[in-house]
Amino acid sequence: MRPSKSRSRFLALCIAPAAILYFLFMILPTFNVFRMSLFERGAYSPKETFVGMANFQALLKDTKFITSMQNTILLIVVVTIVTFFFAIVFAAILTRENIRGQNFFRIVFYIPNILSVVVIAGIFSAIYKPENGMLNSILSLLSGRTVMVLWKDQPMVIVSVIIAMVWQAIGYYMVMYMASMAAVPVTLYESAGLDGAGRLTQFFQLTLPLIWTNIRTTLTFFIISTINMAFLFVKAMVAKGMADVGLSFMYAQKDAGLYGYSMAAGVVIFLFSFLLSALVNWVTRREVLEM
Amino acid sequence: MKKFISLLLALTLVLSMAACGGNSGGSSTPAPAGSGTPDTPAPPPAEDVTITVAALASGYEEAYPGMWKEVCDAFTAETGIKVNLICDKNLEDVIGPSMQGGDFPDVIHLATGREKGLTEQFIKDRNIAEITDVLSMTIPGESVKVSDKIVGGFTDTSVTNPYGDGKTYLAPMFYSPCGLFYNAGLFEEKGWTVPATWDEMWELADKAKAEDPNMYLFTYPTTGYFDAFLYALMYSVGGADFFNKATTYSEGIWDTPEAKQCFDIIAKLASYTNPVTPAQANDQDFTQNQQLVLDNKALFMPNGTWIVGEMKDAPRADGFKWGMTALPAAKSGGSGASYCWLEQAWIPAEAPNLDAAKQFVAFLYSDKACAVFAKGGAVQPVPGLTDNLEGDNKLFYAIYDNGADAAMGNFAAYEAVAGLGTVREVFLDPVNGLVNGTLTEDQWISDVKAASDQMRANLMG
Repeated sequence: MRPSKSRSRFLALCIAPAAILYFLFMILPTFNVFRMSLFERGAYSPKETFVGMANFQALLKDTKFITSMQNTILLIVVVTIVTFFFAIVFAAILTRENIRGQNFFRIVFYIPNILSVVVIAGIFSAIYKPENGMLNSILSLLSGRTVMVLWKDQPMVIVSVIIAMVWQAIGYYMVMYMASMAAVPVTLYESAGLDGAGRLTQFFQLTLPLIWTNIRTTLTFFIISTINMAFLFVKAMVAKGMADVGLSFMYAQKDAGLYGYSMAAGVVIFLFSFLLSALVNWVTRREVLEM
Repeated sequence: MKKFISLLLALTLVLSMAACGGNSGGSSTPAPAGSGTPDTPAPPPAEDVTITVAALASGYEEAYPGMWKEVCDAFTAETGIKVNLICDKNLEDVIGPSMQGGDFPDVIHLATGREKGLTEQFIKDRNIAEITDVLSMTIPGESVKVSDKIVGGFTDTSVTNPYGDGKTYLAPMFYSPCGLFYNAGLFEEKGWTVPATWDEMWELADKAKAEDPNMYLFTYPTTGYFDAFLYALMYSVGGADFFNKATTYSEGIWDTPEAKQCFDIIAKLASYTNPVTPAQANDQDFTQNQQLVLDNKALFMPNGTWIVGEMKDAPRADGFKWGMTALPAAKSGGSGASYCWLEQAWIPAEAPNLDAAKQFVAFLYSDKACAVFAKGGAVQPVPGLTDNLEGDNKLFYAIYDNGADAAMGNFAAYEAVAGLGTVREVFLDPVNGLVNGTLTEDQWISDVKAASDQMRANLMG
């Protein structure tokens, strides 16, 4: 097809605003991050000195950076697995089984997602309070003696962050999977039932393969957002230095007056999330099933 | 071919628009700046100057809302220089972005020692205007010089002269004594005396423990509160000489017996600390640590005079009464020490109206300004100001009259080096690890030594 001149002009005009905004506010700053990672300068100082790859060399030797990246990876792996497991299971139960108050559960699960991280941090501060906090009180009631788990102290602090992050993320992904599960024709389940497939077999042979494309997309999406969410949760919930993640390291360096160094950390985290998404995309590649 | 031409056309269209966008992007950098500072004309006639003042809205502003506005208005009435005031609790977030864009306020009132470390960054970048000449300026509307209004000693420390070269860069503003806060009512009820030495401190800890197993000796809001504590401790253990050597990272200073004593006291204190403390030593929950003192679950905590206002609505044990004491003496017969927490006002090197800004800083020491600040409970190092204090504050500011040494100054500024932490990360944050047992005292000391060597190598000035 050969589009006419006026048509191309029209198309270009339509795309231009978005393209320009994207270029100005995404591409340019990203390149700027790469450029600044090669310099050393303060955040508020106009003076900058070119240091080449020195920032990256220092990063590799910085134990704090390595620990924070380890924490990031731990959070990504555990939070992703737990969230996806529960989101898919709950979605399957809510769509396939007849449960009273389905809509009620759907809303209850979804609510954490619309709360701001600061509110969530406030809620979990009440839950994790060492003395007569909700969690410790329940545990004391069940065990019959006074339980004093210091949730926001070592070594439980990372578990506390994981619980809060899973709690926040489940609802959103559950609703997404419910939508795609609802698109699977009921007739397929009926015929599978006639062939003698039980509920579990139906889930693994029908539901999972048919919503696989959806899972794949959300997985990439989730991993990237977890890098950011981990920072927000850690920043709002726990003391500095207790469970630092990659982005909190980046911020701390900026506050310490090492803008270039923090940009170098930003570059590493950028490349890391990019490669991780590519990897996940590649690993989860399957033949797409048609309904 | 036709397709190619149309593509080319589309591309030029996009590019030309991008170019326009780029231009507008370039000119938009000053634009938000302009919205922050409505009118800063380039070469203004003298009476038509507007300066921008950025001041942290701290507890004082909360106690007397409009405090800074009133001072700015008084300044305008006196000099005719208009003031555009930015007063916010999160001042760094408000002025930070526009400063990164190259638009600086003329005067900034923001102390060192805050988590975002904005003032420290300006010191490290040598981005602060020297104000030694302000000390010899005449205060607008008065006939005395600024230096005559400032109590001796307040312009001699590293807090105001960060490079140790005798030049003043930061003006000493509000000061407040820091010390250990406790429930004076409880001490009266039990007949305990406030410990004068650390040995008495440990005895008291055991006594309290015997009384009630949930009553611990110590807690702290966050590790950040250890800065004043550490300074006072170093001063009481080793005196001014040791303090000065330690804060400039002198070679071998951490191997001296004085340093060992400081480390030992903090490590021992960590073992007497209420174990829930580290779990709540974050920005979200630190008031719950302060609550431990109100509930008699910890006897002492390091804090500042603002604590009374901060916790005024919190529930408390019967008969609770705030008390404040200096740090106990290192040995019997010695004197305790209290760190003098000092907030600073300063002028960014790139302030557009340097002369007017200096006049404003001078005006901050006028009788009018001091009177307004005093209404909020903010005390400047100006003679006679503490005489008019009332209530708890009168008690707190009398701490130096009761024999405690005043420790002033802070760790010397050093060039930022990748991989080397901040003073807080190296010296203070590890206290959490000491309390929860993830760090040993020896490990902490060797970390401090290693970092201190690097800091010395990168000292500024």
